[in-house]
This record gives sequence, C-alpha cells and structure tokens, in this order.
Amino acid sequence: MANYGAKILNNATAALAAQQTVIATTGNNIANVNTPGYVRRRAELEARIVTDSSSGIQIGSGVQVATLTRMADSYLEKLVREANGKLGASTGQVDVLDRLDQLFSLNGNTPTIGSSLNGFFDAVNDLAADPASIELRSQLIERGRDLVTVLQTTYNQVAQLQDEADDRIVSEVQETNAILTQIATLNGAISSTESGSSGAVAADERDRRSQLLQQLGGKLSFQQVELPDGSVTLSLSNGFTLVNGTHARQLSTSKTPSFAPPPTPQSLSGGALSYITFDYDPGAGAADFDLTQTIQAGDGILGGLLKVRGYNAPSNTSPFQADGVLTQVATRIESVSRMLLGQVNTTYLGPDENPGAANHQPSSGDLYGNTPRQTDGVTPAVYALFDFNFAGAKDSNGNGLPDDLGTHAGVSNYTSRLQLGVTDPRRIAAARDADATVGATSFAPGDNQNMVAISAMQRANNLTFSVSGVASYSLTGSFSDQYSETVTTVSSAVSKAKSDQGVAESQLTAAQQKLDETSGVSLDEEFTNLIKYQRAYQASARMIKIADELMQQIVTLI
Amino acid sequence: MTRVSENQQVRSLMVSLQGNRKLINQYSNEVGTGIKVNNPSDSNYSGSVAQFKQSLEKTEQYKDRVSAVKGFLTFQDDAVSQASDLVLRLQEIAEQSANETNSATVRAQMAAEAFAIRDHLASLANSTYQGRYVFGGADDDDPPYDPLTYTNSSSTASGQRYVYDSDPGNNGTRVVQVSDDVSIDTLIPGSRIFDNAIQASERLGRALEGFDTTPAPPAAPNGGGAAYVFPADAQLQSQAIRDSLTQLKTARDVDLQPQRTTIAGKLRRLDTASSLLELSKSAGEDVLSRLQDADVFESASKLAQAQTALQASMQVTTRILNISILDFI
Repeated sequence: MANYGAKILNNATAALAAQQTVIATTGNNIANVNTPGYVRRRAELEARIVTDSSSGIQIGSGVQVATLTRMADSYLEKLVREANGKLGASTGQVDVLDRLDQLFSLNGNTPTIGSSLNGFFDAVNDLAADPASIELRSQLIERGRDLVTVLQTTYNQVAQLQDEADDRIVSEVQETNAILTQIATLNGAISSTESGSSGAVAADERDRRSQLLQQLGGKLSFQQVELPDGSVTLSLSNGFTLVNGTHARQLSTSKTPSFAPPPTPQSLSGGALSYITFDYDPGAGAADFDLTQTIQAGDGILGGLLKVRGYNAPSNTSPFQADGVLTQVATRIESVSRMLLGQVNTTYLGPDENPGAANHQPSSGDLYGNTPRQTDGVTPAVYALFDFNFAGAKDSNGNGLPDDLGTHAGVSNYTSRLQLGVTDPRRIAAARDADATVGATSFAPGDNQNMVAISAMQRANNLTFSVSGVASYSLTGSFSDQYSETVTTVSSAVSKAKSDQGVAESQLTAAQQKLDETSGVSLDEEFTNLIKYQRAYQASARMIKIADELMQQIVTLI
Repeated sequence: MTRVSENQQVRSLMVSLQGNRKLINQYSNEVGTGIKVNNPSDSNYSGSVAQFKQSLEKTEQYKDRVSAVKGFLTFQDDAVSQASDLVLRLQEIAEQSANETNSATVRAQMAAEAFAIRDHLASLANSTYQGRYVFGGADDDDPPYDPLTYTNSSSTASGQRYVYDSDPGNNGTRVVQVSDDVSIDTLIPGSRIFDNAIQASERLGRALEGFDTTPAPPAAPNGGGAAYVFPADAQLQSQAIRDSLTQLKTARDVDLQPQRTTIAGKLRRLDTASSLLELSKSAGEDVLSRLQDADVFESASKLAQAQTALQASMQVTTRILNISILDFI
C-alpha cells in the first residue's frame, strides 16, 4: 500500500508554498496599484507531476507555481505608443501655434497687420483730402511707423517661435538619446535574465522598458522588433537603426553639419536651423547623416516641432524656401513688406518723366518742391516712402526704381530692416509734377494726385504678393485679400493642430483604458484573490493537521 | 469578462472632470467677452472675419472723410451762394444806374457800392478754410486773386483790380475717395466762379466813376482805360454799364448758378455715399456679429449645463472613490 500519509503531508506542504507565492504576487500587485507602467502579474498554478513508479491509484502530487505571467499585450502597448506619438506631435505643434494664433487676434483690442494697413491708408486718404496739412502729413508718418512696427513685431515673434521650436528640438533630441541609452541597458538586463531555459521573466525590467518605449513614442516614430532573447531592435522609418541589443546610437543636432557646406539657408531670424544628424565618423567629424526629414515625416514631439519649425534643404538660399506653418506665415508678412518697399514705393515715385533715360526720373514732389530723390542722388541714402536699414547700395542696379529686392547681399529678410524713408512731414511727396517739360518740375502744395495714386492701391485687387525666389507662395489680390488669406492660413494650421490634439488625446485615453483593462491592477480582484488563496492556504494547513492526526492514530495503535 | 482596473476608473473620472472644466472655461469666456471668435483658430471663417473687420474699419474711415469733405463743400456752397446774392445786388445797381437821370453824386455813391461788392467778392474768392485758400485750386497756399493797380483812376477803389493767379496748380483737381466706388473732385478753380463777377463789378464801378475799361469784355481788363469826356462820352458810359450788366448775367447764369448746382450735386453724392456707407456698415456688422459674436443666452445656458455636469461628475468621483472592498472584509 502506498504511503498516503506522507503524500498528504507533501501535497499540503507544496500547496502552502504555492499559495504563499500567489499571495505574495497578489501583494506585489496591490503594492504597485498606482505605479506607472506596472503590468499586473499572475502566478499560474498547475498540478504537480511527480513520476510515481509504484502501482496503485494516481491521486496526484499536489500543486506548484508553473510560471509568473506578465499580463501584457504587445498590440495594445503599440496602440498606446502610437497614440502617444500622435499626441506628442500635435502638442508640440499646438504649444507653438497657440502663440501664433494670438498674433493675429480678431478681438479688435490688439493692433494687427490688417488694422495697421487700414490705418496707413486712412492717413493717405486723409492727406489726399487736404494735401498741404502738416498735421495730416505728420499723421501719415505716424501711421506709417505703426505699420512698420506691427509688421516687424509680428514677423520677429514668428521668427522667435521658430527659434524656440529649434531650441526645443535640440533638448528633445538629448532626452531621446537618454531614453535610447536606457532602453539598450534594459535590453541587456532582460536578455541575460531570460536567455537561459529557466523560463524566468524579467518582469520589472520589461515594465520599465515598455514605459521607456512609450516615452520614446512620444518623441519620435520608430519601428520595433522583439528578438528571441527578449531584447528589442528599434529603427527609424528609413531603416536607420536606433537601438540594437545593448548598443544605442546617439543622435546629434548641428547647425553646420558636414552635408550642408556654407552658405546654408538662414532661419527667419537670420540665424540658422538645426539639423538632426548622426555622425558616422565622430573622430574626424565629417560624416554627418541627415535624419531631419525622416523624423519630420513621423509623429512624436520631434515630428510635430519639425513640422512647425520647417525643414530647409541645405541647397536652398532663402529662409522662406523652408516648409512649415511658421515659414508660410512669415513669407506672407515678408511679402507685405516687399510690396511696401516695391510697388508702393514705385507708385510713390510716380511715372518716369524721362522714359528714354537710364534712370527713372520721379514725377512726384513734396512741399519743398523736390522730387523724392532730388536730394538723395542716384544711389539714394533714402529708399523712398518705405526704406530698409542696409549699409550698402540699396538701389543695386542703379535704375532709380525699387525693383531689385532680394539682391542685397546679406539681407535674408526685409521686414526686420523695414523703416520709414520720410521723417520730415514736408518731405512727403503728395503732388505730381504739373510741368510737362523733362527736367523741369512744378509742384502745387494742394495737389493730391500722388496720394490718390497710393490710395488707389488699397482698393486695387490685382496686386501680386510674393517673395522673389520662393515658388510656394504668390497671391494676386488686394491688401485685404492678402491679410485675410494669412489669417486663414494661421486659422487652418492652428485649428488642425488643435483638433489633431483632441483626437490624439481621446485615442490615447481609449488605448490606455484598453491596456489597463488587461494590465492594470484591480483592487477588488486582488482582494478577492487574496481571500481565495488565504482560504486555500488555511485549508492546506488544516491538511497537515489532519495528516498529523492520522499519523497519531497509527502511533496510538502501537 | 471585462475587467475594470483602478487606473481605468480614475482615468475615466478625470477625463470627464477635465472635459467639463474645459467646457466651463470656454462658455464662461464666451459669456464674459461676448465674442466667440477671439483668435484665428476659433473658427473656420477667421479669414472672412478679418476681411469684414477690415472693411468695417475702412467704412468708418470713409465716414469720417465724408464729413470732412462735406464741411469743405458746404463752405464752398456758402461762398458761392453769397457771391450769387452779391451779383444780384450788382445787377440792381447796374439797372438803376443805366437811368441817365442820375446825378454824378448818385453815380459816385453807386460806384462806391459796386466797388465794395467787388471787394467782398474778391474776399470770398480768397476765403480760407482751415488755413488754406478754398478757390486756389491745388495751389492753395496763396490767394487766387491778387490785387493790381489801374493807370487811370480817381479813387483807391477804382485804381485797383483783381487778377487770377496763373500758377499751374490753380486749375488742378483734387479727387477724394469717399467710398470704394465714389470719388469727388473737391476743387473748383476760383476763375470759373469769380472771374466774370469780379470783372463785371470792376467795369461797372469804373464806368460809374467815369472811366473807360479796356479791352472790352469778354477779355479781362488790363489796367488801362482813360476817363470819359462828358457829354461826348455819355453814350460810351451807358454802353459800358450795359456791357457790365450783360457780363453780370453771364456771371450768374454761366458761372455761379451752374457751379452751385455742381456743388449741390457733389453734396448729394456725398449723402448717397454716406447712406450707402451706413448700409454697408450695418450689413457688415450684422454678418460679422453672426460670424464672431457669441449667442450669450445660448452660451449662458450651456455654461449652466456644463456646471451641472461638473457637479454631477464630482459627486460620482467622490462616491466611487469612497467605495472600497476593504470596508467589507
């Protein structure tokens, strides 16, 4: 007869150990109920198989803990990571664009480019009604200055947003590098724990790595492959490997990478934009590989920031050739400045009195009886009504007309250099020459024809707004059409980013809820289990007592 | 079996709390400012809002200009109307003086009145509005009529004549835009209004004082003309008075009346422009309000709704978080 007494004891002891393990696991779950990234664990029980050579009835050999299961779901984790990436991308954009939105406020309390343009033309029209008035002339100068200031302030703020986005990209890349390094380290820890045949699970390391992967998803888009040893390989969409086993590549940012020899295109503020690169030859430092566009095409905060900040190919020359909303808006502002410096100035100079000659002879005149250029010479110190701050020759082709914008070496944008060419109210040329003889001029103080010509530009709807060399933008219409289109550009960019953010938030919440449904700790469940296993433990303990009593019965028989 | 973990429960409570807070923030802003579209991203129609705002601002500016131009034209109208009355009085004098029974004393008095009226006409022609000569054309910084002297005269008045400036700017135009579609030339060269009237009054005065005025109308007096010798030149004097009467009629019928009509026409166009501006302003404001303004009643009731929802979600949060299995173990 088999020794059932010993068996009872053995089974009960095994059961005690198994239940204890389960209770400990439950305890760990309860302890980590609020730990971010913690995936609940379950100790899986199974009937113990002990080969019993003796004949008789196989009653079994008790219970044991088969494995410790991490209740993870890689598909749901991927969903969370992707939603996190989308949220990062849209949040990165919203952070920047929210402030852009306020620059084009519609509440009527803050001066905008639209209202300043109106103010300027209002002063032109007022002066047209009373051309000799010094008060109205001064008003035109003041309104002109307002316009210049608002154009500059708006432009500079847009440029500053670009610089800030650039700075943030640099620090986000550093954080990304730190995450990549930690993932590589955890890869090592996981593969060394799980590589043997023990079936051990590096649960805590996996929890931390999942969390880091989610954080990395919030930074940039990447592809992930888990290898049999438990380590993950991460790569960008172009196949560039970020992490392979225990090796993590470090990205860097550079404004002067080896693939972009000077002159690299300037940023909106006149500085330079950073490229995200990987240096294949850190020693020599001349083997930079451009990853900017690959990262820009993806999600994550880096993708979002790059989309807003824009990418300018090293072969480009103008800051307005970059992509991105900020560049689009800045291009529109710059086109207004160039319209003032170009066509408005040309109109202000009046028709050429002597078309046969090489130089344009202005036909407009001021209260002193001078044409706008008469006191300035051929290469004017003063450009015309609107001027720009530049040390070299402003009229580079010397024809007397402001038709050569974009040719001034070192000038990447004219808006930040914009200024008013006239400071003396009497110097405003409101009149047109009444003397038809070439070379002779006669200006009546009450003549408003030149102001009428400028005023007509406010109503003209065939003005072409563009920036030379920038193919992506050209608009034919009125000043008002142009401003309205600019506001629409801002509006659609900001509201798209905001709605993307809303969608990403709800996607992330839904994905996290789904993941928590599987991986999250439920106290109800854990306590119910606790009671269940406590009872089992108590019962097993009672089994030992019963076995003991059975033994004693036998002993008393002796 | 669907599991509900602790985190899930807390998260969904947080989402509903935050959602309601966000709504309350939005609606209280709308109620507070009365504006739904503060920044471009608040609406898909932001471009239109910007355009409507600009066109409304422009309309306001046009309205200001309409009143400025109206002041200027009304001033012109007053001057021309006064000139017209003066010419009427000159006609009376001329008709009266044509009667040959008048004594020399009476004629001398009539001459004095004619010259006084001429000087009045000249001062009207040289009148200023906000410091500038209204009838000087574009050359409005000096008087359009300059005094010159006659070679033959018996009094200061008859020794003086007024000549219209020949500056190129005098005949200039000044087109002022009073709405997108309406522009008005606010200038009338003084010669078109006053030349005939001033010349006729001079001829009349000099004839009554006993001087010939050369050359004969319609040419402008050149400052010459000898004294009549009576009784031989009595016929010539009567002819001169009749000639001045004819020129006065010309002044009224060809210059003053048509110019008054022109000015009245400009004022009417201003009024039309002004009422059109008013219309476009109210239409613009209407559309802008529909695009930009919040429906305060709707926003307020939505605010109340969101408040209730927030209270409810807070209650749910505290109740649910208060239930624990520990209380039952």
